[in-house]
Amino acid sequence: MIDIKDLSFEYFTRDEYNYLSEMITAINEINFTAEDGEFVVIAGRNGSGKSTFARILNRLLVPIDGQVSIYGLDALNPENIYEIRKKVSMIFQNPDSQIIGSIVEEDIAFGMENLGFSRRKMKENINKAIEAVGLSGKGQDILKRKVSELSGGEKQKLVIAGALAMEPKCLVLDESTSMLDPFSRKEIIDILIKQKTVTVILITHIMTELLYADTVYVFDKGKICLKGTPKKIFSDGKKLEQLGLELPQSVLLANRLYNEGIIKKKNLMTVDDIVNEMSTEYYYKTKENIAMPAIIKENIKIDPTKAILVNDISFSYGKKNVLQNIKLEINKGEFVGVIGETSAGKTTFIQSIAGLLKPQKGSVYVDGVEIYDKNTDQIEVNKKIGFLFQYPEQQLFAKNVYEDVLYGVKNLGLTKVEAEKRAYESIELVGLSQEVYDMSMNRLSGGQLRRVALAGVIAMKPEYLILDEPTAGLDPAGGEEMLNIISALREELNVTIIMVTHDIDSIVKYADRILLMENGRITQDGRPSTVLHNNYISTNNKENLPTIMRFMFELKNKGFDIPCNCVDEDECVKIIKERIGC
Amino acid sequence: MLKDVTIGQYYSTNSILHRLDPRVKIRFALITVIILLLDRSIPLFMLFTAFYFIIVLMGNIPIRYTLRGLKSIMLFLFVCSLINLFTTPGTKIDIPVLDITWQGLYKFGFVYWRMVLMILITSYLMYTTTPIEITNGLEKAFHMNTQVAMAITIALRYIGILFDELDRLIKAMQSRGGNIHKGGINKRLENIKIIAVPLFQNSINRASNLGEAMDSKCYNSDNKRTRYYELRYKKCDAIAYLVMMMVIVISSIIIWKF
Repeated sequence: MIDIKDLSFEYFTRDEYNYLSEMITAINEINFTAEDGEFVVIAGRNGSGKSTFARILNRLLVPIDGQVSIYGLDALNPENIYEIRKKVSMIFQNPDSQIIGSIVEEDIAFGMENLGFSRRKMKENINKAIEAVGLSGKGQDILKRKVSELSGGEKQKLVIAGALAMEPKCLVLDESTSMLDPFSRKEIIDILIKQKTVTVILITHIMTELLYADTVYVFDKGKICLKGTPKKIFSDGKKLEQLGLELPQSVLLANRLYNEGIIKKKNLMTVDDIVNEMSTEYYYKTKENIAMPAIIKENIKIDPTKAILVNDISFSYGKKNVLQNIKLEINKGEFVGVIGETSAGKTTFIQSIAGLLKPQKGSVYVDGVEIYDKNTDQIEVNKKIGFLFQYPEQQLFAKNVYEDVLYGVKNLGLTKVEAEKRAYESIELVGLSQEVYDMSMNRLSGGQLRRVALAGVIAMKPEYLILDEPTAGLDPAGGEEMLNIISALREELNVTIIMVTHDIDSIVKYADRILLMENGRITQDGRPSTVLHNNYISTNNKENLPTIMRFMFELKNKGFDIPCNCVDEDECVKIIKERIGC
Repeated sequence: MLKDVTIGQYYSTNSILHRLDPRVKIRFALITVIILLLDRSIPLFMLFTAFYFIIVLMGNIPIRYTLRGLKSIMLFLFVCSLINLFTTPGTKIDIPVLDITWQGLYKFGFVYWRMVLMILITSYLMYTTTPIEITNGLEKAFHMNTQVAMAITIALRYIGILFDELDRLIKAMQSRGGNIHKGGINKRLENIKIIAVPLFQNSINRASNLGEAMDSKCYNSDNKRTRYYELRYKKCDAIAYLVMMMVIVISSIIIWKF
């Protein structure tokens, strides 16, 4: 059992001249308990002290004040470091910076080697751990597979396997699902739920993951502001919003249906709950043998003069085909979402249409110009197409905000006055206040840095804006802010947006069109509702469905005769009222 | 392309070379380098060229994959070896403008051939042995300090990841209208300087993340660690040592005679 009383943690920041400038209280008198086998989820906005807290649990940071008892061991006693780390295993956000081995078995063995396990025991535990995380089904010599050939989801499973093999009593996961696609996320959650004897403490920004918890803690400014079951936490949406979080789509839907008088039970949380409630309440409306909907066909109209035209591009690294014969046209002013599993080739695809990665075969035209042609001016292409990388705050080039935003503008050959004007405008456009103009980067929060990076791109006034997971790792409030800025750019300046994302519930609200990628091919292309509808019918994979559509499909499975290609809450309620007649 | 660089990267497949004990492979690589440095003669280099092709046949790794990965290094070495053309005294070759001697040309050929052989042969150690195996091998074969050996493992393991990072930064710069491959020398230096800062910072972050991950997995160089791979010589290792002896003997004869 983990028992923490009045824990505080402080650190000092230093200014440019290396003088102590400020004391920051990262954790402020926290009380926390976790029973054996409990599934605890910790949420809160960026910079609320969650990660600091996690590191104290694993004794990577030394608590300063308070009582921290971890399975009976006092964390303030330096002699207990290794005993605590043996009991509490930690898993971080990016699997690439945690994996030490080059092949699967080597990496799982690393932790056990440190604990001095015998070879026989290691063999046994490796097989058990592989089985527990569900990697065992994938080919016989998974143990000998090269780590760099695994997908993001598989890598994260490998890291968890490495931790489980050490036989810990507690797993602490610090935003370990944030870089994964919805399907892999659910797989990871399922693995965690299965651990009945291990305490799991998961830190996350993804609100649906809170639904699986036994207990939820919400952090804000180093304090615990809310604590309780998911039901209790989600009963007050206003309070959650103040804390930078939001209600999951399924809870919003349940509340809406309750307010409309369609369901009688209050405070339902998951899609399954709502569907069960509906099917008991309206059992007389259900029929047997309802045929599943057929795949919907639609034609996309393309204006060939002003568009991106991708002509049969392919790309491969070594023996792996990352892109395979992609043909595509994108209209001016469209908002296109790109979804798919990690390592489906999404990043390579968007880099190749942005003029950053020449495909080995095929060509890309933007506004009628072949962008990889020898005679094409590369600078002109880059001016026209803005590109925001994944975690763009890691690619800032200057010490302060203003200079970084100015970097791209300076390359355009404008006059100094004009360049500065543009920089100011774009900083304003992303909603940053004037105070941050000459602030140094390390004083900004994660969400602010992300907006600085976006400002640097839009200051160049691109006609096309391509973004690689712009909301990954941000808290819900920060994510929504990003999406609002991006959609405003489209509305007001008619910028064409192409965006890779794993957040299906948000993308269906913003995009006109979705491309679904699988193994280097675009397998679905069309309106969001159509693409996701058809994808579910052909793959039967629920995790890639937006909540509303998932709800419709589940109703259909229960025997309600309703159409399923709907992603909008209002439309969904309307359909239910008409078809089920409540 | 930066992504093509494959130095130090393990290639997972099944072959006799992959199954050999890392100590054998490390010793073999070391001896190859020493012999090649001891002398230069056509028969000796021919011997090792033949030896390289035997390795390629045994390694079961597509030769195009390895060559593409080493392309940039080989180009770099080529340019470096060019200096021999101009600095070696001797009979001048009758070409206008360039001041090249026959002896220079001869020396250039040998120097380049030697370096390419070294790179090609030693790179097979990396392709067929994982960094952790190399560490275990180094520790056992040369009684290397555990901490130093672990540092080598991690350095090798992270070469690829650092190249990815650099690649991303260069592209981020390019998408904002800067280019380290274009413009005057001042502009280029300026751009390289701009990239160097976040590259350094990101590398440090990576390193500290990795450090935390190792810490949380109870890594401690003072503790007694056990090993998952126990190094034990097998029959094929014995044969490999025999081959190694033969190579040494033949090389000695060649060096003696020519």
